[in-house]
Amino acid sequence: MHTSKTLLATLIFSTLLPGMTPSSATGTLEVVASFSIIGDFAREVGGDRINLRTVVGPNGDAHVHNPKPSDAIAMAGADVILVNGLQFEGFLTRLIEASGTSAPVMELTQGAEIIRDPAGGHYHYYNGKAVFHEAAFDPHAWQSVANAKIYVTNIAAAFCDADSAGCDAYRSNAADYLDRLSKLDDEIRARIAAIPRHRRTVVVAHNAFRYFEREYGLTFLSPVGVSTESEASAADVAGIVQEMRDRRAAAVFAENIADARLVEQIAAEAGLELGGVLYSDALSDSAGPAPTYVEMMRHNARTISQTVVGP
Amino acid sequence: MRLHLFSASVAAVALGLAGSALADDDVTAWRLFVSDHEKPMVTVIDALDGDTLDTFTLKGPATLYRSETGETVFAVQGSAGEVSAIFTGIAFHDHGDHGDIDIDDPKLLDFSLSGGKPGHFVERQGKVAQWFDGEDTVRLFDEKAVLGGQSSFRAVNVTAPHHGVAVPYDDHAVVTIPNPEDASKRPIGARIVEGDGQQVGEDIPCPGLHGSAGSGNIHALACDTGLLLITQAGNTPEIRHLPYSPSLPEGSASTLIGGKGLQYFVGNYGADRIILVDPSATEAFRLVQLPTRRVHFAVDPIRARFAYVFTEDGQLHQVDILKGEITKSMRITDPYSMDGHWSDPRPRITVADDKIVVTDPLSSTLHLIDAVQFTQAGEIPLEGKPFNIVAVGGSGKMHGHGDDHGHHHAHDHGDSQISKGYFEDSQVQARALSDWAGDWQSVYPYLQDGTLDQVMAHKAESGDKSAEDYKAYYEIGYKTDVERITIEGDTVTFFRSGKPIEARYADDGLEILTYAKGNRGVRFIFKKIEGDADAPQFIQFSDHRIAPASADHYHLYWGNDRAALLKEVTNWPTYYPSSLDSKEIAEEMMAH
Repeated sequence: MHTSKTLLATLIFSTLLPGMTPSSATGTLEVVASFSIIGDFAREVGGDRINLRTVVGPNGDAHVHNPKPSDAIAMAGADVILVNGLQFEGFLTRLIEASGTSAPVMELTQGAEIIRDPAGGHYHYYNGKAVFHEAAFDPHAWQSVANAKIYVTNIAAAFCDADSAGCDAYRSNAADYLDRLSKLDDEIRARIAAIPRHRRTVVVAHNAFRYFEREYGLTFLSPVGVSTESEASAADVAGIVQEMRDRRAAAVFAENIADARLVEQIAAEAGLELGGVLYSDALSDSAGPAPTYVEMMRHNARTISQTVVGP
Repeated sequence: MRLHLFSASVAAVALGLAGSALADDDVTAWRLFVSDHEKPMVTVIDALDGDTLDTFTLKGPATLYRSETGETVFAVQGSAGEVSAIFTGIAFHDHGDHGDIDIDDPKLLDFSLSGGKPGHFVERQGKVAQWFDGEDTVRLFDEKAVLGGQSSFRAVNVTAPHHGVAVPYDDHAVVTIPNPEDASKRPIGARIVEGDGQQVGEDIPCPGLHGSAGSGNIHALACDTGLLLITQAGNTPEIRHLPYSPSLPEGSASTLIGGKGLQYFVGNYGADRIILVDPSATEAFRLVQLPTRRVHFAVDPIRARFAYVFTEDGQLHQVDILKGEITKSMRITDPYSMDGHWSDPRPRITVADDKIVVTDPLSSTLHLIDAVQFTQAGEIPLEGKPFNIVAVGGSGKMHGHGDDHGHHHAHDHGDSQISKGYFEDSQVQARALSDWAGDWQSVYPYLQDGTLDQVMAHKAESGDKSAEDYKAYYEIGYKTDVERITIEGDTVTFFRSGKPIEARYADDGLEILTYAKGNRGVRFIFKKIEGDADAPQFIQFSDHRIAPASADHYHLYWGNDRAALLKEVTNWPTYYPSSLDSKEIAEEMMAH
């Protein structure tokens, strides 16, 4: 386990210039957030002092996002750009370059407890094909509430630097939100602690839950991709099914950012029911069960616990 | 033929690139494929130094298309009724944030499609749809098969011969609908069909359909009323009609190109205007007025913010996609009037690395323009009438210490390239079991007792994992209960806790595997012919070599299911000569 302080050299990180003020005439801070979870944090901290644009919206997969000219135009006009970093937003470097923006780009995983990925990356599955997403450090850090608090603290600092007049408001909003996150953390711990130990191994298609695993004591299995000359890289379903048997996996879950066919197949071959949808890399829309980060984490913990131990 | 450089600094950069291919270094390679307006040929030029790498003879003058991967250039020879394919020699293996680059000689592939009036070519994600205006079927095939020398295709009925287009998807295609009154007129819309030609869903009207382009996950078709936008929902394409904005003047698009890096489209809109299309924006269409009539346009795949338009007054224009306006213009050639026949020789443009390349058929020249400074940067003389042009290339990591990679069109992969898993199929040769003859010990006990900790620490110094993480990785990799193996003649003996299991094995071929990281490996496979029941049916050696040579160590996979074994990529029991002690093995490992 390493803190990201050791990674500074590899990160895109601009220092904020002191005294920088919002560029828009109304005094609102123009904020671009790279994806929905960060967008939610920004709204909590910024309140009505910011004008927010989120590049990858609800249920969107940041790994395959196609940035639009309008995204670049928004970045060009931004006062602050908030990103996850750790190679989560594959589109980011090109989009920032295309936009020509001079706004500071804040990597919110700065200072978070980051997990090195022993496999050097993880798989996504699109239409039956396995796509390896190489990332030496697991980028899905928000799946631990302790890390989410660091994101929020970083956002408050970025907003204060860009808009000193609003700093008290940002700090006060952040403090309120951090309290709610502490309660959320307690709630998740209590819920997972109530799951019997032998029911704590579950399966997802894409390994985005290592932080949740480390923080709350569940084990997530997921298939790896295999590739030979004769076929395109695909998920090793037989391998994961064997591993599930060996480790007595209790349930299989779908994810909002991926189509469910692969996990349906895995569940069927392992003789398990599909246990519902977890939200890994994106919030739901406002009609869904996870329109905010707090609701997302609560939904995931509840869905897992209800599936493996019953309501 | 050498590039005539206008600027000394460009030469310095080119030389710098040529000498920069050290171990795991970034290597840049770009190639231009140029067809002639009259002669049946394609010239391949190294875009970085202007050298001609090869010339291929075809059956007729060709229009060129490159695949998304850049591994293949297709040459559609309309007048000769022929489609050919060229392997570009540049291949990338994408690893998310970086790619590895493989560089080989370009070659004309053993691929040929003959048919009536080959027309629009569309490729997306390795699927190709080649239209033939003179036939009532469109031909669908995979780029991968083409690279493998196969000319087979799937024909899908399109009702009647017409000048249309098809967009290929996994199990479907979107095809144009011919005008029922007169198929020689432009198509009246598009529909989705399955592999057997069976229609899915309704016809989508879009009269006067002509022109198609892809950008990210959207493919667009242009027509009189707007654009059809095709996306994929699960396995099936979906089509949405985006009407032209009422604020646009009267007109329509009939030629489209798609943005790379940013998702947008550029279309012609009348002779001297273009439209920029961002389907996600509230105001999806923006109009850009050109000074004179448009000859050709192209997007910049690297500087995603820019596209370029060449106009008949001989000017090249830089269009800023964010601002929606021409930001720079420069005179490049003599005027090329758009009066006269549509197929008269006129300039075409493409982008290679940091250069915009403009063909100038009437002066037998390629003009190079620095894309960053927007200044003239040189020219490449080329015999005949250079006409259609495409560029492939980019930068990637070239792994290994191959000194023979000192120049970007080096041909041979050094041994260290091979041992890291970068090689050509043609380099792979069969091997006899005698390559692995001897007495071998598992290294797993040395990992467990800590002897190999120093090796893990050594790997962590230069690798991207900590020593603990490496140890965890090798714990899975090395794990085995077979502590010793002897191989003598065709007999292999496995020792489990000192107890021997023995069988005879015969050659059962080899398999080339592609790993998730893009590198490859060869499994040399032997099959049990007789022996102890507990001895595995198959053993598969992997030792970082691809041709006959004695192994100094190896990874062995064994089991009774040949195919399943090929999928085992995390557990690879590893054997070193029994004559080495643990310290010598550790030293041997650190030397590599």
